Amino acid sequence: MSAETIAPPEPAPFVIAPGPHVRAEETTTKIMWTVNAALAPAALWGALVFGLPAVGVIVAAVAGAVASEAVAGRVVRTRTSVRDGSAFCTGLLLALTLPPLVPLWAAFLGGAFAIIFAKTIFGGLGYNLFNPALIGRAFLMATLPLPMTAGWITPAPFFANAAAVTTATPLGAWREQGITAAMNLLGGAGSPWVSLIVGLRPGSIGEVSVLLVVLGGGVLLARRIITPTIPLSILVGVLLTTAPSGQAGLHLLSGGLWLGALFMATDYVTSPSTRNGQIVFGLLIGALTGIIRIYGGYPEGICYAILLANTLVPALNLWFRPRRPVFAGAPS
Amino acid sequence: MTVPTQRIELRSFGKGGIHPQTRKRDTASSPIEPMVPLPSEVWLPLIQHLGEPATPLVKKGDRVIRGQKIADGGATGSPLHATISGKVKPIDKRPHPTLVTVPSIIIARDGDAEEEFPEDPAWRETPHAEMLARIRDAGIVGLGGAAFPTYRKLTLPPGVNVDTFILNGAECEPFLTSDYRLMLEEPEAIVEGALAMARLLGVKRVLVGVEADKMPAVESLRTAARSVPLGEQTFEVVPCEVRYPQGAERQLVTSLTGRTIPPRSLPSAVGVLVQNVATAHAVYHALRYRRPLLDRVMTVTGPGVLQPRNLRVPVGTLLQTLVDACGGMRVDTTRLIAGGPMMGRALPRLDLPVIKGMNGLLLLTGRGPLEEGFGPCIQCGRCLDACPLGLEPDQVSVHIEAGRTLDTDPFGPLDCYECGCCTYVCPSGRPLLQFMQVAKSALRRATDIRVKT
Repeated sequence: MSAETIAPPEPAPFVIAPGPHVRAEETTTKIMWTVNAALAPAALWGALVFGLPAVGVIVAAVAGAVASEAVAGRVVRTRTSVRDGSAFCTGLLLALTLPPLVPLWAAFLGGAFAIIFAKTIFGGLGYNLFNPALIGRAFLMATLPLPMTAGWITPAPFFANAAAVTTATPLGAWREQGITAAMNLLGGAGSPWVSLIVGLRPGSIGEVSVLLVVLGGGVLLARRIITPTIPLSILVGVLLTTAPSGQAGLHLLSGGLWLGALFMATDYVTSPSTRNGQIVFGLLIGALTGIIRIYGGYPEGICYAILLANTLVPALNLWFRPRRPVFAGAPS
Repeated sequence: MTVPTQRIELRSFGKGGIHPQTRKRDTASSPIEPMVPLPSEVWLPLIQHLGEPATPLVKKGDRVIRGQKIADGGATGSPLHATISGKVKPIDKRPHPTLVTVPSIIIARDGDAEEEFPEDPAWRETPHAEMLARIRDAGIVGLGGAAFPTYRKLTLPPGVNVDTFILNGAECEPFLTSDYRLMLEEPEAIVEGALAMARLLGVKRVLVGVEADKMPAVESLRTAARSVPLGEQTFEVVPCEVRYPQGAERQLVTSLTGRTIPPRSLPSAVGVLVQNVATAHAVYHALRYRRPLLDRVMTVTGPGVLQPRNLRVPVGTLLQTLVDACGGMRVDTTRLIAGGPMMGRALPRLDLPVIKGMNGLLLLTGRGPLEEGFGPCIQCGRCLDACPLGLEPDQVSVHIEAGRTLDTDPFGPLDCYECGCCTYVCPSGRPLLQFMQVAKSALRRATDIRVKT
């Protein structure tokens, strides 16, 4: 090769990478922080009506989760990073399912347990079988039954109740004393239904305002981060199992149903990937929730319903595979 | 490019696909311009097609003129022609856009002489064998990118019947507008070329698929078809939904005919043959004027190009010359892509020749998707929704990461035609297409070994 045939100037070095050379805007980190932002209205409402104890629980649970992620991620070298927002999300979701009077150390421990035992030991983000936040809640239910089932206080907007009064939740009252007691508990602000929807009722920190939870879920739906398949299937499941008792309205509007249906059952990692699998998954969660509430040992059922359905996800993914286009060649 | 104002029913394929930003505005209104000045040197690699390499017919020191055949050979090969007039330099290995280095004929320009290509007035009555010979002699290969010699594609194996000829004007790759401009500026050549290829195959029905963001091209082809003698043939231009990969053979066949090609089969399995609009344009010139494929319309665009434009480029022109003709490149250009951003190929350098299968040159700035690294699969299912074939890139990638590459067969990597939709949508930035490729080659190798033993 003679010298004059070679292009004289050294060409600029270009980066060689396989295609495609463009990608969609959505990233895991963006998705996680959007979920956190969508939870903010419900969390702020909880802080508003339950006061400082609720703020403390939220901070403690998030701190427990994030700190564990940072430490455990380093020890076992998962590919998870604290910055991706998933540990923050786990901590926040856990806090929103806790009663306001849970001790702060317990909330911290719950967050840590959720990350270490439900996420890190499975391999970190993407590999966990169970929803970490709900594992954290189940862990606290098993180890600290008293504060977990009696730590409720009456809501008082704008920090009006400096001396909080412990009380029962609507579902708890319904379970122990019947529907009249539950409705009386809710009657404070006029119509019991308004109390349920707006969130002027005792309950876990983030579950009380159906309105704000749905608002956050609506953001996720509008951003196409989640689809309505799982939440709608869950609502149908709850409706079908609670309608015979005549109290479907109370069940559909109370407890952590909406928080669970919109934010926990829709967790990508622990839910099926295809639509048909998601329908079965949602119906199962809804039905289990209704059955646990009516026949089971707890007034609230969504937590265990989701955890039980989580165990079926790998199987659902195998049973409901994406459909491939069917060969069809008849001349038209 | 205009958005259709009245509602028209757009044809499309069933599941999957993505809607990347089309980014065609930069060049959609740039007419096809000639290269001025002509390149002072061209490199013509002896392999620019799928098939046997060509054998040089010229040697060092020979004088050649534009249009002269300079290499040919092989039962599966395709001839090469001088694309500028000048002196042949020593024939030796040169960098090649896809094959590392390939023996190439280098011509240094010394004038503007060109072979004459007189019209054959009776070209429409050319016998079939002669038509195939002219197409072969013109060195025409599939200009949609695959570069499969067109005379071979038009020679159907015994027992294969085709009842529909599809002309692919979808141009679904973002950024590229070369096919659009060609449809707008030279629609008669495209229509005539397509009808001639259909005649050659004995096919009466010709369909053209064009994405609906190119309605002026739809109108232009329709108008051209009215001035062309159709005989017994029908010619229908069908606007299709703007959805990548609308222009993939498999998807376009479904969109236009409702037929689905079986996995790993050719469109002829459902009685269809697909050719790109630029190929039809070249075929027309080969049949009517016996004019070989000398130039290629290319979109030179992207944020790294100072003056994006559409150019008619002699094959063999160096990319550096192309970039110079477009006002040069920004200093922060980091990536050079031959073709579109979805299925295009990253090139390392500008001292590479334009080859027949190239339809665009894209200069990108900033970091590429994979340079950010990638995270674990979060099982969001986006790739499952995006895959037009219903394959499972998520499962393939997770199995490969777990060291179970040979267990990926049920998830379909062998059927994958590498459109890249999965990688495009993955929020964890996972190179899913590459996982599919790894699985594909491993599975093929494993099958080969099993067959041999």
